[in-house]
Amino acid sequence: MIRKIIEVENNLGLHARAAAKLVHMSSRFSSAIYLSREGYQQEIDCKSILGVLMLGASKGTRLVVSISGADEDEASNAIVRLFAGRFGEEL
Amino acid sequence: MNSTKIEVLFQGNGVSPGIALGSALKLDSYNRVILKTFIDDARLEEEIERVQQAMQTSREQLEELRLRLEKKVGPEHGFILDVHILMLEDKSLIEDIISIIRIHGVNAEWAVRQATDRIRNAYQSLDDQYFRERVSDIENVVERILLNLSGDKPFSWTALPEDLIVIGHDFNPSTFATMDLQKVRALALESGGPTSHTAIIARSLRLPAVMEIKGFTATVAPGDLLLVNGDEGQLVLNPSEERLGRLRTRLEEARLGAIEPSGPQEPAVMTDDGCRVWLQANTELPHEVLAAKKCGAEGIGLFRSEFLFFAHPQGFPSMSEQLETYQMLAQEMAPHPVAVRTLDAGGDKSWARTEPSAEPNPSMGLRGIRLSLRAQEQFAAQVEAILRAGAYGKLEIVLPMISTVEELWEAKKLIDRVRCGIRLGGGQTPEPIPIGAMIEVPAAVLTLDQLAHEVDFLCVGTNDLIQYLLAVDRNNPQVAHLFQPLHPSILQCLARISATAKRLKKPARICGEMSSNPFFAVLFLGMGYDQLSMNPRFIPAIRQLVRAVTVRAARKIVDKAMTLATAQEVADFLIEQVSHLVKVDLTPFVKEIRTSQGRTGLG
Repeated sequence: MIRKIIEVENNLGLHARAAAKLVHMSSRFSSAIYLSREGYQQEIDCKSILGVLMLGASKGTRLVVSISGADEDEASNAIVRLFAGRFGEEL
Repeated sequence: MNSTKIEVLFQGNGVSPGIALGSALKLDSYNRVILKTFIDDARLEEEIERVQQAMQTSREQLEELRLRLEKKVGPEHGFILDVHILMLEDKSLIEDIISIIRIHGVNAEWAVRQATDRIRNAYQSLDDQYFRERVSDIENVVERILLNLSGDKPFSWTALPEDLIVIGHDFNPSTFATMDLQKVRALALESGGPTSHTAIIARSLRLPAVMEIKGFTATVAPGDLLLVNGDEGQLVLNPSEERLGRLRTRLEEARLGAIEPSGPQEPAVMTDDGCRVWLQANTELPHEVLAAKKCGAEGIGLFRSEFLFFAHPQGFPSMSEQLETYQMLAQEMAPHPVAVRTLDAGGDKSWARTEPSAEPNPSMGLRGIRLSLRAQEQFAAQVEAILRAGAYGKLEIVLPMISTVEELWEAKKLIDRVRCGIRLGGGQTPEPIPIGAMIEVPAAVLTLDQLAHEVDFLCVGTNDLIQYLLAVDRNNPQVAHLFQPLHPSILQCLARISATAKRLKKPARICGEMSSNPFFAVLFLGMGYDQLSMNPRFIPAIRQLVRAVTVRAARKIVDKAMTLATAQEVADFLIEQVSHLVKVDLTPFVKEIRTSQGRTGLG
């Protein structure tokens, strides 16, 4: 089980395009991946677009990601890279 | 128990005049009637299979649509359909729907509605507007599932009784295309407003409509007797015998749909001091051309082509489908001209049904000519259809949302390239047709000299011009009171456009619904405009008005009005001046300019 805090750094936040990328990527892993806003209880499934959009995460939001499963390391790295790369959003 | 039905009065905003009586027909937000039925336990698995199949079909359709969209509009637009596809693959949604079917023993349609209503409510409570508005993506997906569940059969109007009042929370304007207009007498909605697209179409269809009636749909059941009074902005549930008795004559007249008698044989319209004025029709639905002719319109000053796109199942009518419509318009109106405005998608016009916009501020985003120049393949198809149809009458092209000269250069280059590539029946290329620019962005007003040189005529889109000039979103009830067509800045702009057009000898036409109000019409005449295009039903009244005034007197009114400081002062002054100038009954229009809103339409 891996738990990490990530910050949404891209300008548009977890908007439709970014959310779609995140869901696409998470779905490639067999691990269970959950997200929540830092300081909130409610967790959403990172493989559910409806859940990810419901986070309403705009730029600067801090999220807690919890990953558990056989490929949790790979999944964690991939997610961190996606956020750090600002979902490919142009600056 | 008291079985007598009690009369209930709801106050809303009358956005389209007239009265009508009928029975309530409830359409959900996508205008599909969802019935709840109970399914035998033995058949529940079948029902689950059915919804899974519908979601699978929806996914396949979206995959295909995405490919087409990326090819036609550009790869950057495909992602939004990705979001829709992901929603269809979303386990939480699928599981939710299945468990509702199983636990409650209900039909798939109802389960889809229930499951997505929950999600919708959750989204609506989000703080961030962008995420709140993702509700429209969810609705898009729901609509597709429901369509596929229905086996692709559009909702049937044939089984419904006559005299219906369509009620609902909101209403998608594209529904007008499938609605049986012989049966629908009026609209009553919880949302909307006088400048919503639905209101504009209702007015042009002469369908009485009351909007912004908060919370009434909870009280009204399908089939209930309703009286809609668009003049007073009232909706009456179970109207009393006494009330109906008072309105009997008016209701009968309304049912007969009496149009003021006038016709194409009308002599030329001139002011009392002999200035020629052309009164034209703004239309949206192809069949409105008949109303335009009946009211004696001298041409269609603005054909809003969006409707062809909204109403089309794929959202992109082919060149030949468009050609058919434009040809019909050209032939019906000949020898008068028909100005076809190229697709003005974006802004508040939800072309979003097929290409959901992810823009945070659509009215300042990729709309009008901006979108057309981006989606050149479709723009070229529309231009080709207009050019080809030009052979059957007198057509003109109007380009919306022009803000720079470069846009005109690029559009004109494309139009000419398309024209040179067409071979008509006899092998010849079509004649060039007049090209006009919509003047609706303040930047266009300020650089009118440069823009006007590039075009054959100018069309003033008053509604958008007002919205951009005053920085007021006309659909936002919080600031709707600031949408003031008589604001001194608007008068300055309109006068300036007319003066520049005169100096450069380019015809200038008012194409917003403002010209259907006699007070505004007097201002336009005084500013020197001689082409007014409006909802055809107002042409007879405006014709009467034009004949009663002199341009000289109108000019004096304009001169004085331009010195006033507020919209309210201008309104008071106009009421005082115009009322004794003309013999037309102006009472219905006074309220409109006093509140600075009402029957103004899309520019």
